[in-house]
Amino acid sequence: MSAAEATATRPVLEIRDLAVHFGGVKAVDRLSMRLDEGRIYGIIGPNGSGKSTLLGAVTRLTPLTSGEILFDGEPFHTVHASQIAAKRIARTFQTVRLLPDVSVRDNIQLGADAARGDVDERRGWWARNFGTHTSPAVASAIARTRLGGFEDYRPAEMSYGTQRRVEIARALALDPRLLLLDEPTAGMNQRERGEISTLLKELRDEGLTQLLVEHDVQMMVDTCDYVFAMNLGTVIAQGRPEDVVRDPQVQEAYLGKKFRHA
Amino acid sequence: MSDFYAANLVLIQSTFIGILLALSVQVPMRAGVFSFAGAGSYGIGAYVSAILVLKTGMPSLLAILISGIVAMVVGLLLGLLVAHLGGLYLAMATVSFDLIVSVLAINGGDLTGGVTGLFGVLSDVTIFHLIGLALLGIVGVALTERGRVGRRVDAVRDDPELAQSVGISVRRYRLAAFVVSGLLGSVAGSLNSLVRSTISPSDIGFSLIVLALTMIIVGGAQSWKGAVLGAVIFTWLPPLLAGFGQLQHVVYGVIVATAAIFVPGGLYGIYSEARYRRTRAKRKPPQGEAPAHEQALAISVPNGDAGRSA
Repeated sequence: MSAAEATATRPVLEIRDLAVHFGGVKAVDRLSMRLDEGRIYGIIGPNGSGKSTLLGAVTRLTPLTSGEILFDGEPFHTVHASQIAAKRIARTFQTVRLLPDVSVRDNIQLGADAARGDVDERRGWWARNFGTHTSPAVASAIARTRLGGFEDYRPAEMSYGTQRRVEIARALALDPRLLLLDEPTAGMNQRERGEISTLLKELRDEGLTQLLVEHDVQMMVDTCDYVFAMNLGTVIAQGRPEDVVRDPQVQEAYLGKKFRHA
Repeated sequence: MSDFYAANLVLIQSTFIGILLALSVQVPMRAGVFSFAGAGSYGIGAYVSAILVLKTGMPSLLAILISGIVAMVVGLLLGLLVAHLGGLYLAMATVSFDLIVSVLAINGGDLTGGVTGLFGVLSDVTIFHLIGLALLGIVGVALTERGRVGRRVDAVRDDPELAQSVGISVRRYRLAAFVVSGLLGSVAGSLNSLVRSTISPSDIGFSLIVLALTMIIVGGAQSWKGAVLGAVIFTWLPPLLAGFGQLQHVVYGVIVATAAIFVPGGLYGIYSEARYRRTRAKRKPPQGEAPAHEQALAISVPNGDAGRSA
């Protein structure tokens, strides 16, 4: 990235010299990243390379050993896990995590419940907490993830790919500034993956910054503007996705091994 | 009606007290907090109210209010101490709390009346007070099952990590469960000693924990409706079983065991499941979706790398 480009956009998330150690295991070590507004970033890397630990650190579920995380230029690593939603950081999980006994609508509403500055904020305290209304953000998230018709379904009645879309819808209902997606297309078929990729690019064009962890290299190349390749807890290559996947170091750490098994 | 009322006054009173006791266990259960501290709060309410009315002549409702506040504070302190524990460990810690309350009652000297307890707690609590307070408790708990608060309690129970990611302070909700449980249990206990005009350690011991738990297991912990159902059943069942003579405890035990094994969601669980099945059967699947087929496929594609190369 040129100096002119760097000043034109401002970082939404900045990670400086991050380390997360579990005893002697350096899950993440000397890792720095910069995420500018309105772009899709991807993280690739073999299992155990520290991708999930990194997401854990950013969502404040995993304590840092050292280093700094800045969100919007403000120190972020002291924020409690339950406060990241108030900063409009939304995430999806590696395994689908939906409430089993409530409808798709209510699962997505859970994200809208956390949104600030939403139309709900202007409702009275009573209606906001005990009312059974559905936020406008839910309808729009359902439309965007093409979940129309599923509103009254419970998670167990739907395919895995559809459940994944509910997770993404819940994150969108939060009206995020930064969206963290942990393997969003796992368990989806080719058509569904294409749809998700298209959706993420639409969201990017509306200015939403995204950080995507994926195994599907083709999906990453199709979707991301910028890719970080991780191995052994640190970034071994970064840049345009096409360049990163051709990097010999990356091929050896990740793709080579994967393609041998394929 | 009035004949029935006069003949069954004690059971009718016990029903409303039982509802509040059951709610004091149902509220934390629903939030995923396996706390039986409601029984200990019942003891606190029973003794504090009895002592206040007996020793100071305080009006009953004020005594109920003060003991409620005491139990909420104790509940909060207990929560701060044990809320981070999970599952069985939390259950054991709260059972210990209940037993500590009993031990304090037994060894409280003149204040608590020792093993024999306190007698002659005269009060002006009527059936209308019982109905009013039980209704207040039901309405309050029902509200926490609605809307945003209801969803958030569901999330805290089913997936605390997910709950945090959508901005819910899991710790605060768990602590609130302890406080609300303390209040409900305390009001139940207060009403018991004020209505019966007596309280002794045998009223608040281990059997009370078992009773409260039984009500919730058979009624269902997912909703206040389950708690009410359980409270009604286990207030009226023992007298009905009296006809079995010596066998009544066996029959009682079989009913509880059957419910625990075959109806894990309780009676309310059966009802809500049936209602859900009815609505599910009525609706049509959305266009382009073949749930049954894709469902089977989804199971074979778990989270790993299999089948996902580029």
